Amino acid sequence: MAPLIAAAIVLSPIVHDPRHDSYPLSTYPMFAPDRGALLTIDTVVRVDSSGVVHRLDPNTISGTDEIVTASVVAVKAIQRGEADLLCREVADRIGDPDSTVEVRSEQVNTIDVVDHHADPISVTIWAECRFGE
Amino acid sequence: MNRNALQRLAIMRAAMGLYAVVWTLVRSANIIDTSGQPARRFDPIGPLWFLDRPLPTWVTVLGILTVLVAGTALIVGWRYRISAPTAAIAFLFVTTYRNSWGHIIHTENLASLQLLVLAIAPAATVWSLDARRGAETDTGERDDGWWAVNAMAVLAVGTYFMAGVAKLRISGLHWVNGDVLLHQVAFDNARKIIVGAPESPFAAFFLSQHWMMAPAAIGAMLIELGAPLALIKERFAAVWVTTAIMLHFGILAIMAILFPYQLLGLAMLPLLPIEARAPGVLHRHRWLGNFLRWQRRSPITSTT
Repeated sequence: MAPLIAAAIVLSPIVHDPRHDSYPLSTYPMFAPDRGALLTIDTVVRVDSSGVVHRLDPNTISGTDEIVTASVVAVKAIQRGEADLLCREVADRIGDPDSTVEVRSEQVNTIDVVDHHADPISVTIWAECRFGE
Repeated sequence: MNRNALQRLAIMRAAMGLYAVVWTLVRSANIIDTSGQPARRFDPIGPLWFLDRPLPTWVTVLGILTVLVAGTALIVGWRYRISAPTAAIAFLFVTTYRNSWGHIIHTENLASLQLLVLAIAPAATVWSLDARRGAETDTGERDDGWWAVNAMAVLAVGTYFMAGVAKLRISGLHWVNGDVLLHQVAFDNARKIIVGAPESPFAAFFLSQHWMMAPAAIGAMLIELGAPLALIKERFAAVWVTTAIMLHFGILAIMAILFPYQLLGLAMLPLLPIEARAPGVLHRHRWLGNFLRWQRRSPITSTT
């Protein structure tokens, strides 16, 4: 009986939409969708006084060392219209009044990015701020 | 070859308990950092769905400490009836709360579920401090423990089966032609680069080998959908466990994603006759044999 109960429990998320995720019971949708090669990826960057863009690490973006959490923090801030809040939060973490922080969406060819760190095809800036402003 | 569920459960108790304690210790700073995020990001899930605001940080710290203390007692089988459920529930709380901030990480689902079964299993009947002091540890002399071993095995294979079903439901058979895998590997590594984290050093090479995509995708799908076959025969289980661990090595190599519980084989322990190796291990490590000989009784009733 116990194995049957275990099977019923672990398979129970099958009644949901496969994209509906939870914990500890999950549909495990993370590797399932076809994302395509051309994608928009949200992030936060630092732009120094000479205009050079510097990638920030996950800890600076989200306050945790979790890579995907950092990405999701940027995605949700943009979706919820909270890009300004995230921008100020990151600027406070950096603490450099000479740099500009940008919350932005980068349209990229993911294969080219992995292959030779290609620049984004286009960039949309959702929020721009400086430390102390 | 003799099979003994009580001995297998005892080994799983030590191994899975050690995993829970070490994982919680290593990730404690991340867990506290995550729970310190602004309240607007709080998005409770699973058993914590009812929370309408984040908990104070001291609750998270208390959860971590509970896993460490109760988990240590679980490892050595001390006051198992109390320590094991306490550790399992605390681990479930800590991992659920960590996942309640807008993004679900899938590395500890199986550990949480298997620990819950282990917590109510007769896993301290042998090779434990409870057994040493002759405590009434479990649900009765007639409980041979196979129900728990089999339930944890079903949880393991069911998890992989669900992952395969999700691929079919979301992308259909198109998933195995290799393009979906190519795009997934590219996306995951590109995202790492864009949020300033190191990508896999093998990703670019893998992406350049187009011929590998379809076989890799078919292999992954077969391992996931074929997981239930591991429940039929030990020989199938051994083959499946080997391939599943190789799958996780592959994921680590090309996507830099670590599933430590699965990669170490801990998730698959219920499927393997690990207790048959115990005499050899005890012979090689005499200190461990001496420790285990402290026990006063060995109510092993089930050998097949």
